[in-house]
Amino acid sequence: MSDSEQQQNAAQECAPQWPEKGEEWSDVEDGTEMDCGLLQAMAEEDEEINVYNEETFGMDLDSHGTTDGPGDDLQFGKPSPPTPPPPDPKPPSPRRVPSPPRQKPQYLPRTAPGHRGRFRGQRGGLGRGQMFEDPAVMRIVEGRPSIKSLDSAIVDYGSAMIRSNFEYDDSAIVCVIGHRGRGQHLNSSFMDFPYPASTFRGRRGEPRGSFSRRQFGHRGPSQMHAPMAPGSPVFSRQPLTPRQLYNQSGGFMFPPNRPCPSTPQPLTPKMMQLRFGANSPRPSPFYSPSSNPVQHLSRYPGPVTQLHPQHKRLLTQKQRMFQRKLEGWDPYCNLMTGKEKEWIIRLQMIQLQSENPYLEDYYYQEYYRRKEAKMAEEELGIRSKREPPKLTTPYITKTDTYTPVVHIEGSLGQVAVSTCYSPRRAISAVHAVQAQSPHEEQKDTRQQRLEILSKIEKLFIVLLEVEETERMKTTVLSEAEEKRFMEKTQRKVAHIYSQLQHHPDSGGEFLPFLLVSKGKKLVARLLPFLQRDSALNVLCIVTSNLPTLMSRDSDEALPVLYPPLRNVIGGLTFSQLIGLLKDLMSSESLTTFECLTLACQNKFGLSLLYALLSHGEKLLSSGVPLEPSIGDFETWTDVIFQVAGQLSQCSLVEPLLLPSNLLTLFCRYLDKRTVHQLKSNMESATAFLALPS
Amino acid sequence: MNYVPGTASLIDDIDNVASCLPQTGSIVTDYNKHLVLLRDGRTLIGYLRSIDQFANLVFHQTVERIHVGKKFGDIPRGIFIVRGENVVLLGEIDVEKPCDTVLQQVSIEEILEEQRLQQQTKQETEKVKMQVLKDRGLSIPKADNLDEY
Repeated sequence: MSDSEQQQNAAQECAPQWPEKGEEWSDVEDGTEMDCGLLQAMAEEDEEINVYNEETFGMDLDSHGTTDGPGDDLQFGKPSPPTPPPPDPKPPSPRRVPSPPRQKPQYLPRTAPGHRGRFRGQRGGLGRGQMFEDPAVMRIVEGRPSIKSLDSAIVDYGSAMIRSNFEYDDSAIVCVIGHRGRGQHLNSSFMDFPYPASTFRGRRGEPRGSFSRRQFGHRGPSQMHAPMAPGSPVFSRQPLTPRQLYNQSGGFMFPPNRPCPSTPQPLTPKMMQLRFGANSPRPSPFYSPSSNPVQHLSRYPGPVTQLHPQHKRLLTQKQRMFQRKLEGWDPYCNLMTGKEKEWIIRLQMIQLQSENPYLEDYYYQEYYRRKEAKMAEEELGIRSKREPPKLTTPYITKTDTYTPVVHIEGSLGQVAVSTCYSPRRAISAVHAVQAQSPHEEQKDTRQQRLEILSKIEKLFIVLLEVEETERMKTTVLSEAEEKRFMEKTQRKVAHIYSQLQHHPDSGGEFLPFLLVSKGKKLVARLLPFLQRDSALNVLCIVTSNLPTLMSRDSDEALPVLYPPLRNVIGGLTFSQLIGLLKDLMSSESLTTFECLTLACQNKFGLSLLYALLSHGEKLLSSGVPLEPSIGDFETWTDVIFQVAGQLSQCSLVEPLLLPSNLLTLFCRYLDKRTVHQLKSNMESATAFLALPS
Repeated sequence: MNYVPGTASLIDDIDNVASCLPQTGSIVTDYNKHLVLLRDGRTLIGYLRSIDQFANLVFHQTVERIHVGKKFGDIPRGIFIVRGENVVLLGEIDVEKPCDTVLQQVSIEEILEEQRLQQQTKQETEKVKMQVLKDRGLSIPKADNLDEY
């Protein structure tokens, strides 16, 4: 046809030269150049380039370490390319309709071997590290540490590539960026893709793609291409045409599993989006696109996203439900490829990824933890389908801890380790201790209260850190780290304890803090971390000041102290117990009677009393030698009688917990009648049967 | 069920996904359109085809629905690309819900006419109001919707 001849000639003319004038790159001209003739010309030219490159840069190494022979050339565009057998799993995938993402990745590993023979310069495209197609760059890269381990490379890749798209016209920049890409740092990258997809799509209509082809075709051999992800086109829906491949990089790099196209297709926008936006190379593996998270999890072993087990479960359920989408009805559907969908999901996930979701997203995590605990409780044995919708967040296990500040022994300062998290770490300034004015003898009560509150806040932060390290300990890997954590924890705990203990000009250790409800919570949460003696000390303080505490407990926050104190009581010796009971009975110069009455009227007091008695009973009945001090048993029996008398007379409140061995205790010492009376009194207060202590 | 953060939650809405299971025996022939309300007050209804991370939307077979009083009119618009920042609300239209509204559909010309009239009366009242305020020495600056800063 004359038409095609003409076009071919035009192509032949233009092809070897770099168009000097802008007009030559006009749309009109380019619009007509889509057909076989040009294609062939391009193919041939590219071959030449390939050969040149090979000669210059030597053999290519593919991912498996074997080299491609020089005979491997671009073969498409030729009338009868010796097509090696297309990879078996490949053909279905481009035709596949959505909900493929989970299966696509599995093609990656399988395609490489098949294609070695066909595509020149093709890397396996498998490992995330094998991104470097440019033989020239390969040389440089060889000396570097394994890229596979550095996920930042992938993002560098993407960013380099994206930028290169913007500087489309300037091949010089393209190549510079291409080379520099690997050196760029992770942080610059991912979040700055403004509109990679849309910018590029802006060009869709313009057939500038064709001049870009020319541009690539004309590159100097050493400047081929921005690195491109061979992995990403796997997910492109359309089969690659030769044009696409030219678009990529003069044919040096292409997706390993493209079947050789037999018929050139018109350049559609979709093909041009191969590398951009949604099709950009994957960023770090620290996330899991939710549409098929389970499968993705299997794809990336190792330090990758792990969804919470309940997340996984919910998502598989969801998948099952949605797999029944009807497709094929709508001719306009699937404008958005699966790859693009994944990209968006990934993008959003990355913003959420955190190594410590419990810390950084506390309320969400806590809320769902409680909700699910509640549901689990309610529906024991029944599989609940209706679980609250949860935001899928990526969850990353922390793989490596780093010491941000290294202190060398004997040095005066700290060596600041610069990492990507803290590029320039400032040496933390020591908080200057606020010197309190010693002159003021009488401070405002309000100011005192404020002081106490602010102190509680500060200590709470430390406590949160302690709890955090405790939680992390379960996942901590190395022993050295564990020891370090332990030390840190202990130091912090000791700090909190000492702070609580010594408060200037406020009577009594701990007391001012215990009078504040938040202080009670602080102490309650601190108790599990304290050493035995310290905990005992706290318990003593509580029991001795019980009336005050009870009377000033307007918020009814005391019960929060009950569980940890109960644990402490569980570890008491008999003499210690007796001591405590004595304190309880005669606290604050009230008579025993008054003390006991007060205690009986208060939930916490009563529960504490019960706990003490119950423990005593346990000790006595356990048969373990008690090593009592002198007078212990007498005190004990005294206590029993007094308590019994009190309990039978006054009305009791409902305790937090009614130990079951109390009655046995009373039975031992008292007569039946009294015991019955006691029993009825106690149990009338409690609506339920006593739980075993 | 579980949802993905941000715009990604729209992914399942793309392309007429019937979010409910098909009724027994019958094939779902109804596609779910989406309704989006824009900041300038326009209401668009169409098939959601594509999204991106900024919630830019691509609508197919879009129809702009103008409501005036109890009447409404649909203007077919074709393909719409909405910039994410202009979206006020976006929701799926449930085709299965019984449609027993009091709204009556009128032709495009009629609804446009109605709209014009509505705008006109609004402007007139506004003018009168401003005049009255001016007479009294007060002036309330009109807040431009788009200029919030």
